[in-house]
Amino acid sequence: MAGAADLLGPKADRAFGLKLVAPAMIILIVLLALPTLLTLVYSLHDVPASGSSFGPFVGLENFTIIFSSPVFWRSAQVTLTFAVGFVILSTVIGLAMAMLLNQRFIGRGLARALLIIPWATPWLVIGILWKWFADGSVGGLNAVLMMLGLSSDYHPFLSDPNTALPITVIAAVWRQASFAGILLLAGLQTLPEELNEAAQLDGANWWQRFTNITLPWLRPVLITVTVFNVIYAFLQFDVVFAMTQGGPGDTTQVLSVLIYRQLFINTNIGLGSALAVILGVVALIGGLTIVRLFYRRELH
Amino acid sequence: MASTAFERGRRRSPAATIAIYLGVLVFAVWILLPVWYLVVSSLITPSQLGIKPFPLVPASVTLDNYIAVLFGNTGGKGIGSTDMGTRLVPAIGQSLLVSSILVVLNLFIAGAAAYGLSRYPFRGARAFELSVIATRIVPAIAIIGPFFVAFRVIGVLNTPWALVISYNVFTLPLAIMILKNYFDQLPREIEEAAKIDGATRLQTLWIIIVPIARPGLVAAGVLIFLEAWSEFFYALVLTNQLTVPPLLAGFQSVQQFNWNALAAATVMSMLPPTVLVLIFQRHVVGALTAGVGK
Repeated sequence: MAGAADLLGPKADRAFGLKLVAPAMIILIVLLALPTLLTLVYSLHDVPASGSSFGPFVGLENFTIIFSSPVFWRSAQVTLTFAVGFVILSTVIGLAMAMLLNQRFIGRGLARALLIIPWATPWLVIGILWKWFADGSVGGLNAVLMMLGLSSDYHPFLSDPNTALPITVIAAVWRQASFAGILLLAGLQTLPEELNEAAQLDGANWWQRFTNITLPWLRPVLITVTVFNVIYAFLQFDVVFAMTQGGPGDTTQVLSVLIYRQLFINTNIGLGSALAVILGVVALIGGLTIVRLFYRRELH
Repeated sequence: MASTAFERGRRRSPAATIAIYLGVLVFAVWILLPVWYLVVSSLITPSQLGIKPFPLVPASVTLDNYIAVLFGNTGGKGIGSTDMGTRLVPAIGQSLLVSSILVVLNLFIAGAAAYGLSRYPFRGARAFELSVIATRIVPAIAIIGPFFVAFRVIGVLNTPWALVISYNVFTLPLAIMILKNYFDQLPREIEEAAKIDGATRLQTLWIIIVPIARPGLVAAGVLIFLEAWSEFFYALVLTNQLTVPPLLAGFQSVQQFNWNALAAATVMSMLPPTVLVLIFQRHVVGALTAGVGK
């Protein structure tokens, strides 16, 4: 393979680079670009349940059906509620944990190891763990609430339409806040201590230092973390599926669960694909909006 | 050394110290309470589980639940009335197989690509890199349809290959991003020296760069393993509970399968990724945070 040609200038360098990248490029085109394109095509067809052909072309009919369906709008509302709670709580709790673990205290190393555990835990396992933790007859959450005197009897959180969605949000936040905490802690560790010390000498209080030094310093990491949180919020499937499968009723039926039902339970590939396209676009817009929002605030 | 006045300035007030330790307590409870509940559940009997309130400090513990899920004695009958417990060990094997194949495969493919992007940029390299980053936004759920259809046609549904192929969708971009960041941080002088010594590009990469890049490769390997081990949705749809996550979800839907046994199985599914991450903590966190904020 290698030979005299290797000693040639930039042109040979470029060719070598392309050769190295080619396998990955081909795999990603076949496994990502092609299925994405196919999903778009499916979304414009009335695909038979077998999926063996595209079926008749129906234009935007799948989308028309979806947008006029109350099931979709209810699911969109649930997804948005889930996403808002998930993004805010994951980011805020992650930031609080990062700031705490950046202080000096006995056992800090152990605490930082603890921070990693929820992040290393598979999403599905988090769903299973929290489903039982919040269970109405053998759950640990009820036990704690009872021991603290906050409730007199066990409450079936996940079969109560009022508490099912909040509990799934908290379960998902349990993992994602750790991820945010890990990244934000790394960001805080690069913050020069002199900045805070100088501000302290100037008489800046804790809150002033937080808003004028810490937050601006963390801005790039916060943007990354928030974008990740937004994407995971819209694409969350495992936790909801393990905990409630969308119930009780439709109170936790986020769009990803609805897509799963359309594709594999109702075997409606055309409609499911159209829903998938909508979800992808929403996640993309959500992520981009966060980036824009942060940068616009930076300008002012 | 710092002066005493300087040190005094850095000392915390007693109130701040108390606040920090209270915070640490809340933090520890937030992380550990659910985990503690899971571990206790896996170590007690079904009758202890029925006690209200749940015994957070059980009077006695037993390993029966672990024995039941490892040796197939859970009492939960699956299809064909075989005990569901007999399926956990094979599923762990399949999960390990799929994850390991992906780690090796992706380290080669993503390693080569990342190195090419970092050192030998070609026309369109930047565009390719950006589209790799953008793939993190493509919902895996959104493109499951074509995979399902294609895999049924070529007959790999319900085999490890269905997962080895489809998991590239998220593991390969992740590995490329992490390794690209890593190679960007490596000094270029080494390669220039090798070039002067007459080494070809491929020799330089294989003999000189790969050994130096070991920390980055380890971190990427751990992260690929983690993603493959944790993946649920594709495994649910493309296989019949072949790997651990869909099997755990399957356990949940079997009526006779009790929470104690499920908890034991769940603990075992958490062990490999948690142990791996804790061992390689510094590598992994370093790799994860390297590209952030660019």
